[in-house]
Amino acid sequence: MKVIDTSGLQCPAPLIATRRAMKETEEGESFGIITDSKSSFENISRFLKDHGQEFSCEESSGKWILTINKGPTGNISVSPAGYCETPVPHFSKGDFIVAFGSDKMGEGNDELGRHLMINFVLALKDLDKLPVRMVFYNSGVLLGSEDSKAADHLNEMEKMGIELLFCETCVSYYSLSKKMKVGTLSNMFEIAQIMASASNIVQP
Amino acid sequence: MKIDLLEMADGGGCSSKIPALQLEEFLKHLPLPEDPDILVNICNHDDAGVYRINDELALVFTNDFFPPVCSDPYEFGQIAVVNALSDVYAMGGRPVVALNIMMFPSSRLSPDVYAGILRGGYETAAGAGVSIIGGHTIDDPVPKYGLAVIGFVHPSGIITNAGAMPGDSIILTKPLGTGIILAANRLGLASQADISEALASMKQLNKPGADIMKKYGVKGATDITGFGLAGHTLKMARASEVSITLNMKQVRLIGNTLALVEDGCIPGAAFRNLDYIEKDTRFSAGLAYNLKMAACDAQTSGGLLISAAPEIAGQVVDELSETGFHKAAIIGKVTERSEKLLYLNE
Repeated sequence: MKVIDTSGLQCPAPLIATRRAMKETEEGESFGIITDSKSSFENISRFLKDHGQEFSCEESSGKWILTINKGPTGNISVSPAGYCETPVPHFSKGDFIVAFGSDKMGEGNDELGRHLMINFVLALKDLDKLPVRMVFYNSGVLLGSEDSKAADHLNEMEKMGIELLFCETCVSYYSLSKKMKVGTLSNMFEIAQIMASASNIVQP
Repeated sequence: MKIDLLEMADGGGCSSKIPALQLEEFLKHLPLPEDPDILVNICNHDDAGVYRINDELALVFTNDFFPPVCSDPYEFGQIAVVNALSDVYAMGGRPVVALNIMMFPSSRLSPDVYAGILRGGYETAAGAGVSIIGGHTIDDPVPKYGLAVIGFVHPSGIITNAGAMPGDSIILTKPLGTGIILAANRLGLASQADISEALASMKQLNKPGADIMKKYGVKGATDITGFGLAGHTLKMARASEVSITLNMKQVRLIGNTLALVEDGCIPGAAFRNLDYIEKDTRFSAGLAYNLKMAACDAQTSGGLLISAAPEIAGQVVDELSETGFHKAAIIGKVTERSEKLLYLNE
């Protein structure tokens, strides 16, 4: 596999290298791109997604390594369907935050509780007024991990502009650091500040 | 030894402006000053603030500065000043006085460079009828230059990004592509012709555009800078509570802009701008990826985006062309507010 190391190159040179490699690589074959710039990494990722290309990435000591499995070039022009179908409806935000202190809703059977919580997240999305922020602590952080069925819904809510904050201590406690799919990590001071200044707190 | 200012700015075109999404987040937490004489504030993210002195006179107040966009100090000074004055023109004002804003690595660059930048600035300001009456310099590793500008406007003649009306035609006065060409230039990929065209475009004062807008009583306009054509159009649509449709095929581009995009020469700022607009934008199925990214390209000292009644739009374009804006064109239209704020068509 051809690997191009663009370390030290200024933006958008790494993207230009990616584009060139994409043109030179046969369909079904793979190539690698290395960059030491986070912003170049983000731009390349976005570019590849926009062109419907499959890729994986890993980060190690300040370098990002992308492995691209070259897909059909037919969709090189644009994939408008992808954009049209990211329906982010008009929404307005209410005067409340949601605090998730558990991955289960209510007390009783655990399995039922987990199921209810997923439904709760789903229902939140359809409310007339969306929360301003959502904070997650203790087992609540499990909701943002890639193993959770709620993560995709949370991801959508984040795209709607809702801020999702996960307690960092809790994420490490449950060993989820590498599995978190949404939100940003936060500390107890920030969470306390948000809860103390919120007009209303919804706790499922 | 010839100084290449571009070598001083590593972040360059990619990152010199804070991404729009992030900026809006910062700004919304600031308390808005209350004063009935503030006619335009940051609410609509307009180009400049406007403050009423009396019923006949209001001040248009703005500042703008950035790291080098070209190698030559004199040219950098020229472009920085044209860019800083542009905000006043976009609001229908007449710039009058200005202060220099300069950051300069005095231990790394010779005083000639400093003098060259300022000379480019002073001569350009003087040519526009603006007096630079002072300024401030800070020692900083990367040179940056620009102005704080005060202009005059009649309180009833203010042009804002909130003045677009359904039915209006949208006119763009300069071609797009300065961000892409500048990035290509840094990497040695741009042709001399493209660089020359981009530099000439960035040095072109938006003053004639402002005069023509005043003559025809235009109410809505903004200038195209860091948030790209798409970002500034979106801001205009939001501020005016309308939707705007742009036909990208009618948008004029500098030289080989599209070929450079095709090669992957897309500055990071274009991706940040795409992040900013896509939630409120519908991209038509036929819109080519490269044109979409050109619409998101951050412009330095870009043209005016003018919202003009359809019956005068043709004349406005003709007059722009006569005053040296040969690539001015009608590129879209304003409609009643519908599902999305911005519709980007092929």
